[in-house]
Amino acid sequence: MVKNQVSYNNRQRRLVMQENIAAYLFLLPFLFFFVGFVLYPMFMCVYTSFFDATMGREDIFIGLDNYITLFQDEVFWIALKNTLLIVVVSVPITCAFSMWVASIISKMSVAATSAFRCIFYLPVVTGSVAVTMVWKWMFNNYYGIFNYLGKDVLGILDKPINWLGDERYALGCIILILLTTSVGQPIVLYVSALDNVDKSLVEAAEVDGATSMQAFWKIKWPQMMPTTLYILVITTINSFQCFALIQLLTSGGPNNSTMTIMYYIYYNAFKLYKYGYGNAMGVILAIIIAILSAIQFKAGQEK
Amino acid sequence: MKKIVALLLALALVVSMAACSATEVEETQPQTQAPAQTEAAAGTEAAETADAPVEISLWTYPIGKWTDEATIQSLLADFNAVYPNITVKVEYLDYTNGDDKVNTAIEGGQAPDIVMEGPERLVANWGAKGLMVDLSDIVPEGTYESVIASCTGTDGAVYELPVCMITHGMAINRDVFEAAGALQYLNEETLTWNSVEDFFKAVQAVYDAGHEYVGAIYCGGQGGDQGTRALITNIGGGTYANAEHTAYTYASQENAEGLAKLYAQDGIVFDTAIVAADAIQNFVNGTFQMSFCWNINDELNNADALGFDVLPMAFPSDTTPSLQMGIWGFGVFDNGDEAKIEAAKTFIQFMSQDDAQYTKTVEATNFTPVRDLPGFETVNPLITEYSALDPMQGDYYQVTLGWTQARTEWWNMLQRVNSSDGSAEAILAEMQTAQDASNAAAAG
Repeated sequence: MVKNQVSYNNRQRRLVMQENIAAYLFLLPFLFFFVGFVLYPMFMCVYTSFFDATMGREDIFIGLDNYITLFQDEVFWIALKNTLLIVVVSVPITCAFSMWVASIISKMSVAATSAFRCIFYLPVVTGSVAVTMVWKWMFNNYYGIFNYLGKDVLGILDKPINWLGDERYALGCIILILLTTSVGQPIVLYVSALDNVDKSLVEAAEVDGATSMQAFWKIKWPQMMPTTLYILVITTINSFQCFALIQLLTSGGPNNSTMTIMYYIYYNAFKLYKYGYGNAMGVILAIIIAILSAIQFKAGQEK
Repeated sequence: MKKIVALLLALALVVSMAACSATEVEETQPQTQAPAQTEAAAGTEAAETADAPVEISLWTYPIGKWTDEATIQSLLADFNAVYPNITVKVEYLDYTNGDDKVNTAIEGGQAPDIVMEGPERLVANWGAKGLMVDLSDIVPEGTYESVIASCTGTDGAVYELPVCMITHGMAINRDVFEAAGALQYLNEETLTWNSVEDFFKAVQAVYDAGHEYVGAIYCGGQGGDQGTRALITNIGGGTYANAEHTAYTYASQENAEGLAKLYAQDGIVFDTAIVAADAIQNFVNGTFQMSFCWNINDELNNADALGFDVLPMAFPSDTTPSLQMGIWGFGVFDNGDEAKIEAAKTFIQFMSQDDAQYTKTVEATNFTPVRDLPGFETVNPLITEYSALDPMQGDYYQVTLGWTQARTEWWNMLQRVNSSDGSAEAILAEMQTAQDASNAAAAG
């Protein structure tokens, strides 16, 4: 009897082990790529940030010098300030605007909802170069549509504004373009989140005399919280990683007024070949994004 | 069943890894064996491998039609008619992302075998970093006297086999200048301004004739910065770098005063949102009446859009103008594979040594040859008009060390000048800041 029990346990253990091995083998190809293309580059980024690494020679270990230089670099602080400004302005506006649009179009007919979803999603699927070039034309100092409207049609401008060439407006223009390309996905997500809200709860609240605003805040909003949390995180990360717009429109100018950390990393790593310095900035950026994402998750979970 | 699937997966993984290793071994074999070959054996093997198939890569920046597929395929067909064993795979680059692509490839150990570009990249950048092959052995003595020094590194190695060159100048809308009575301030035969003062009189005349934007100091990025550099140093009469190409020297009272004059001039706008390509576009579409970045290629590329008579000009100077020269040619990356290096050298020699083939090679660039090439002027009639600028070619200082950072410092300096009060003192201070940063980069 005991012998049979031991034999049974061994067989069971073997089966479990075999299943585990099979599971790991199935995971192996993914793990292989995850380690090779995510973990290893991340490790190398941190590792290289302690070196004076450049093209054509061996890396030189310099300890924390890159980080010390970084915190003394005036342009880095400007880039950090600009990046945070982009995040602080664009994330709440993107979320609020997306929710507002979604709440309106979700009440429309199916065809109209689909049409508006397509319209707002269009900038997301359109190539960023094409979108940026159109905006560049619209902001053109000499024959752009904004100056034409402001000066020749509405008469509110005395002279044309060099939107992308003036420190006072350039970052605002970048944020505006970023908003138009950022709202597509949140709108689509919010529309489906609103569709998934339990209608019976809303109807019950309305029967009990709740206003539409109360129904929204007390019933719909809590149910949309996971979606909001996801949107907050991806919009924050996208805003932190704003790069193509800067590269195509301003190269960080005028006078670094549109310089972001992502562009400054690119400039140092790929223009000046200061790989170690660029990686040090990448580490700092990753830490900032991680902290903010953690705060957002924490806040979202508490809600 | 699970066992079989798991075994198959493990097997696939092991096989794929083994395959990778096998490929690596195959590819690295020639590298490890090459140094061991004796000269005698090399001679015999060279004869045996001369016809062995070799695949090389050619990456080319947009130099005229060298990124036009039909043009390049025609040149490759000529080459393969003589060397059928050498396959050339072409990748077309642009000036926005080209450097990133090449640098990423270098870092990944996948640099192209041949790159077509100029000395600022081939010599001052990749050559100085020891990444390029010395081409001295294939440069015929005395053939490229006018440009070979610019293609040679500080170590004496030739890192670029020059193909073509051009003199960068500026251009004016001749029709507008004529209507404004401003042609009196320049010499249409020599393509020069009578004096710096006359240049400003001409700008004022065009402005007074109702043209708000006569020309623009573009500084939204580094694209076409040769124009603003030449404009300011010619007007001011200063230099940009020292003769040894070891340091930048543009922060001088003369250059600051020259820039201050431009800052104060009606009709000259500082535009921090555009680069040379935008300024050229604005010139072509009639928004600007002059372009501070212009060469024969710009006229050829915009021939259909130009609705007025373009007059190419030297930059205004009180002495002989010193114009920027562009030189383009082939560089070969040292990828450690002798067979590929030899094939690359064969390719660039083929493209540049025989007169008939060289004519086609240069014609594809839209520029002018860097050596005697009888009859080439008939290929492109505009060449005669633009060649009046050639004797004014100045120092090729683009090979000064720290060039990449120096370019960024230059346009950033112009942006800061735009925000300043425009006085010579303020401009000199900004120039000094930029120059110091550039020289720090030059010093390594």
